[in-house]
Amino acid sequence: MSRGILTSRYPREPASDEEVPSTGRPPIPVAGPASLPSAQGSCPVRAISETVVDQGKCIRCARCLAAGLSFSGTVEAATRSRADLLRISDGRAPSPASPPPLVTLGRSLHLFLIDVGSCNACNLEVLALANPYYDAQRLGLFFTNSPRHADVLLVVGVPTPEMAEPLRRAYDALPHPKAVVAVGACPISGGAFAGTAGLAGSLEEIVPVDVFVPGCPPAPIAILDALLKLHGRDRGTRGGR
Amino acid sequence: MRRPSWRVEPTPPELGEATGRALAYIPDDGRFALYNDYGEGVSVLTPAPPGADAAGPAALWRTHGPPQPRALAPTAEVDGYGIFTFPYGPVSMGVPEAGRFDVRTYGERVLNLVPVGGFKSRRIRDAVVGRPVVDAALLIERMAGNFSASHVSAFLEAAESAEAKELPTLEGWVRGLAQELQRIYNHLHVIARVAEAASQNVGLAQTHALAEELLRVQGAVFGHRWLFGALLPGGPARRLEVADRRRLSERLGQLAEEFEELWLLFLESRTFVDRIQSTCPVNRSEAIRWGAVGPTLRASGVAWDDRLRIPVAPYNDLFVPVPHEPGGDALARVATRAEEVRASFLILEQILDRWTTAGGGSEPAAPSVVPGRGIGRVEAPSGDLVYDVRVTAGKVDALQLRSPSQANWPVFAAGMQDAVFTDFHFAFESFGFAFAETDG
Repeated sequence: MSRGILTSRYPREPASDEEVPSTGRPPIPVAGPASLPSAQGSCPVRAISETVVDQGKCIRCARCLAAGLSFSGTVEAATRSRADLLRISDGRAPSPASPPPLVTLGRSLHLFLIDVGSCNACNLEVLALANPYYDAQRLGLFFTNSPRHADVLLVVGVPTPEMAEPLRRAYDALPHPKAVVAVGACPISGGAFAGTAGLAGSLEEIVPVDVFVPGCPPAPIAILDALLKLHGRDRGTRGGR
Repeated sequence: MRRPSWRVEPTPPELGEATGRALAYIPDDGRFALYNDYGEGVSVLTPAPPGADAAGPAALWRTHGPPQPRALAPTAEVDGYGIFTFPYGPVSMGVPEAGRFDVRTYGERVLNLVPVGGFKSRRIRDAVVGRPVVDAALLIERMAGNFSASHVSAFLEAAESAEAKELPTLEGWVRGLAQELQRIYNHLHVIARVAEAASQNVGLAQTHALAEELLRVQGAVFGHRWLFGALLPGGPARRLEVADRRRLSERLGQLAEEFEELWLLFLESRTFVDRIQSTCPVNRSEAIRWGAVGPTLRASGVAWDDRLRIPVAPYNDLFVPVPHEPGGDALARVATRAEEVRASFLILEQILDRWTTAGGGSEPAAPSVVPGRGIGRVEAPSGDLVYDVRVTAGKVDALQLRSPSQANWPVFAAGMQDAVFTDFHFAFESFGFAFAETDG
């Protein structure tokens, strides 16, 4: 039954292709932003504008591949501000105004997953962090059973009117300091459901968001990156090496 | 204790117009009959109520009104000294999905349990109306991400039937490949969740690891770990060459062997087997009465499987084993799923072996119910999934579905009567529910 060490070398080493399938990476215009106007029509969720790709809207459906984009962005695409999600496609650095990491949260993070209207893919990708391949505990990331014991609320799904109030209450139940991670396109922009009548609007309108993880769903590595960024321990910093 | 009393609902309409293939395979007692009432914009696909319980489960599966939280199983009038309702959810880590369970109890014993859904309704049924079929499919695959292959296959099958479109043979193989991979993933996930409830940490880690392997295989073959976009025209799986298929087949062979070893270890663990044996029992007649589907039904001794009974491409061309167990308890449900993992590996082997390439012929169009309207019916990981779709000029006009979770909620509620609350997770996880596909 012994299968050796399965655990990812991430974040000590970059994520491998096996860990991140093609759709796990943000789409980027191969020939630069000049090709974007002609690719606009291919996007069913209007993530592509004349000049940028809004990664917060992208549902990784791959229809823009024929129009000159490719899934070649970095899997470490989580950002601390919504505006920074527009900067990924052209390789610009995150804005300097990005809030600094929440170092006040100490050495480990306790996580609470809340589903406000998801399709389950994001739930399962978040829970996959506990499997031996990602083993989030080695990085001091622990799941808790109550928002009262958590530092971080991981929100998955597009907020429905039925879940807006439970979400607010869960957020209020978190002790200070606290943070909210929007996991996937749904809580960031509505994702595939953007524009659907009768939904509660974006997550930011209900609770403040600290980290945005693009993807539909984001790969477990992308969620790890988001949590490490929140903590100032991502691969871009000394703590991540 | 009194038997559950039914909420009063309008009597279901008579079995309406023929539903094509879906009706053709209905056994004489009508327990899997589907009817539909498209009047006034309301439509349901419901197993015909068995005999005298006519107004029973069927009425509960209606989707009338706004998707506010609603009971998914009969509510019972259980009262007495110290009895109270304990609401569990919609926010909890025990059930990592937004849904609630109203438990009538005086302490540990569950006198009655009512699953309450509607918390995560993304209004998909309404949102798809007016969209072209291929755009609507983007929402359908997000109906339940872990069952996406089944939902999209059933939806596309219904839409193709409505438009009387021939199906290229290759598409059938791609759908079969996707569905069987996802079935294995979901069965492993169910086994992992039950193992987690039983604190089988080694087994949990091994099962989790295998499930992750399956996601990676799906990611490599289809470009997406959850198969989003994979079954729509042009997905990468259509370019599987001989060498790719051989590699995939070898990888699946290794995974099948690892699973065999793992499952034997589970069966050797007395704590695991003891804990789920006789938990949440649903005997054969109860399963039929409540309209159980999928592994839940087969674990109660009824060998019904859509892949065998309603053979659409590619299953009409394959050997499909249908494992079933007589036990009806959580152990039987988990064991049925384990057997089905084996069966799916066998089916995958056949699919990869006999894969056709593009231009390899086509399947005739499925008969449509009436022009512009089709039924799609597939065996999803948790059971019989039915889509009823109306299409006009390539755009979705109306859509209804009956998901396996929807069918199995009352079965779970019935099985939980007189259980103790500590049984909850073993019982719940053994069914493989998703609130996502119930709420839609």
